[in-house]
Amino acid sequence: MTSSLLLSITTFVYLFCTVLYLSGLLFHYGRLLTAGTLAGLAALVIQMAGVILRWVESYQLGYGHAPLSNLYESLVFASWAIMLIYLIFEWRTKQRTIGVFPAFFAFLAMAYASFSTGIDSKIQPLVPALKSNWLIAHVITCFLGYAAFAVSFGLSILYLMRKASPDNPKPKSGILSALPDARQLEMFNYQMILFGFLWLSVGIITGSVWANSAWGKYWSWDPKETWSLITWLIYAALLHARNMQGWKGQRVALLSMIGFGCVLFTYFGVNFLLSGLHSYAR
Amino acid sequence: MSKEKSFLEKALDALASLKLTLFVFFTLAAASIIGTLLPQGTSTAEMQGQFSPTIISIIDQLGLNNLYHTSWFMVLLLLLCLNLLVCTLDRLPKTIKLLKRQEETFDSRKLSKFSYSASFTTGLSAEEARGLLHGAVADSFGPLHELKSEGAYCAVNEKGRWSRLMVYGVHASVLLVLLGALAGSRLGFEGFMNLPEGATSGEVIMTGGHSFIDLPFKVRCDKFEVSLYDTGAPKEYRSDLTIVEDGREVLKQSILVNDPLTYKGVTFYQASYGATLKDAEIELKERDSGKTITMTLPYQENRTIPGTDEQIRIAEYQENLMRFGPALGLVLGKVGQDANSGSYILVDHPEFHGNRVQNYQVRVLKTTKSHYTGLQVRRDPGVWLVYLGFILMLVGIGLTFYSSHNKIWACIEPGTSGTGALVSIAGRSSRNTPGFAESFEELSRRLTDQLKPEKMKEVQKKK
Ligand code: HEM
Repeated sequence: MTSSLLLSITTFVYLFCTVLYLSGLLFHYGRLLTAGTLAGLAALVIQMAGVILRWVESYQLGYGHAPLSNLYESLVFASWAIMLIYLIFEWRTKQRTIGVFPAFFAFLAMAYASFSTGIDSKIQPLVPALKSNWLIAHVITCFLGYAAFAVSFGLSILYLMRKASPDNPKPKSGILSALPDARQLEMFNYQMILFGFLWLSVGIITGSVWANSAWGKYWSWDPKETWSLITWLIYAALLHARNMQGWKGQRVALLSMIGFGCVLFTYFGVNFLLSGLHSYAR
Repeated sequence: MSKEKSFLEKALDALASLKLTLFVFFTLAAASIIGTLLPQGTSTAEMQGQFSPTIISIIDQLGLNNLYHTSWFMVLLLLLCLNLLVCTLDRLPKTIKLLKRQEETFDSRKLSKFSYSASFTTGLSAEEARGLLHGAVADSFGPLHELKSEGAYCAVNEKGRWSRLMVYGVHASVLLVLLGALAGSRLGFEGFMNLPEGATSGEVIMTGGHSFIDLPFKVRCDKFEVSLYDTGAPKEYRSDLTIVEDGREVLKQSILVNDPLTYKGVTFYQASYGATLKDAEIELKERDSGKTITMTLPYQENRTIPGTDEQIRIAEYQENLMRFGPALGLVLGKVGQDANSGSYILVDHPEFHGNRVQNYQVRVLKTTKSHYTGLQVRRDPGVWLVYLGFILMLVGIGLTFYSSHNKIWACIEPGTSGTGALVSIAGRSSRNTPGFAESFEELSRRLTDQLKPEKMKEVQKKK
């Protein structure tokens, strides 16, 4: 049993999980949704085993570092975090109908990590700049934030669909009728964004403290740093816009989608298009 | 007078408004995007050819190539601070008043207006219903406290008032961080020094500028080492440093990339490394007499040429002088005086006719390299303010997320027919959490169950 086998299995379980959630929603069949939850849970456990095994393997290779050091490993963690946050959310709200997007995003992240030719899945030694306990704190917290924003992105799409449906507020049939009503979706979305904002803030701050201890500057306007600040500003704007007349609802949902676009750019765009201190992640 | 005041008030309103907040957030975000797309720190001269002249003049005028340090960017940050301050001054007194207020009376007709509300008719007597209600609310939310009310029994449970103060903590933290950053940029410095192994220096070259400062002590690099992985990738950079103050060694410490040294508020970080000249063996041939002298010159130290009153020094070492390979910058002069002539000597081209200083033809026989360590040197007296802001921000946002100001009201009115009662509950949460909604629903279900209208019939039957 190797970590890469477990992680390949995970990818397919996420796909299966997505299909279950989607068909549960399409056919209004609660048992399929429950099966989706179980598949998601299974994927989460298998993936965690895979990640732990990869950690052990890195020690066997003599490198010995947490599996959070390159693009491949961060994508694996991102997909895990999305599912984890979604499942906690599902358990707290007793809403199974919104699992399609998180499951799909978790699948996409894994599929991209595994099948993209540009991503090296080999366990590599750590470059000196990354040798710090801050690495773990920084990566985990940032990705918890990103994952919450991914879930919020899905919620925003559902919210906008719900709002746009002709027989809002109570559709009588179709996929949308199985969803919670728009007011509830808005509330869930807000909770998710505040949660993501909290972790993004922790992520930026740990990164900043780390930079200060490693390079003597807590902020150097490096492109990755700057993009995470842009993301942070967008979500801060969203949290405030919600208190303003005419903004709550659709505009806030759109802002959340723009915010997630910034997350993606911070994550991929900066690595591939811009250069800076964080370009090791290439 | 009154006109002016209303203008002032309008200005203050604008400064306190959330519209301004959004404007500043979006403008800062847009500016930062430009800052990441346009390489910062490149001069407009270097951009020639990359952009059209009009764009270059815009870049120049707005300072887009050094955007984060322009005055308009500072103004934006200042506007954010002002917005926060005025908004806080505007709201804090109201919030404090709200926090202090003790609710004593209540009108039961208000109940149905809350975002969560439910009512039940019951056959139980008002006293019995009260007992049930207290038990049920206590289990889901906490104990009820009685309020004065006309014609009904009303009670309230309230939790987490203080959570309304948390955003003030978050906002204060933003001010602290920005203040700390300001203090750091005004009172601190940032620069670097390249120290060859064995060398001692207290001179720090400022980042960007061509100025330098002298530290009140000196640093010596005893040793610099790079270790590699099997793959050849670098594993660790390490410098052994000694702090020398008033000629005494006061501190010895090794630094790694993530592990700097701090002395008297100045911190030294392992930032880079490189190779430099250690010494060179040269041959001097007197052009008149043809006499040759061979000597070893340590880098940047004067040596007297044997049998003369002249001294010679390698003032500079170039890795690749005008594509002719490495070169020594030699200077020559009378002993005890400043050098009066100098010249570059090409190491790899001994036949080059320009390899001479004054009366000597020079040949470089051998060069020995040594490592130098590149240290980033910083003093930032504002960093503790920034860190304090960080802590406050995390605690503030965390508690904003995890706490909320919740209130549950419950009223019992006597039934219209003289028996039984009407029980109503209502709830409000400053942060409509799923948890609150769930608890409220649970309470409603329990009350529906325990206060069933059927109970009324049972009671009547017994009669
Ligand atoms: C970078 C700067 C800022 C940050 C990080 C920040 C952060 C926050 C956070 C986390 C919340 C709580 C969100 C919620 O409960 O939904 C909040 C609420 C709020 N903020 Fe800010 N804020 C900032 C700037 C400002 C500014 C400049 C204003 C000026 C008008 C402002 C006014 C408010 C108001 C009015 C609320 C709502 C308070 C309430 O619900 O009682 N914020 N802010």
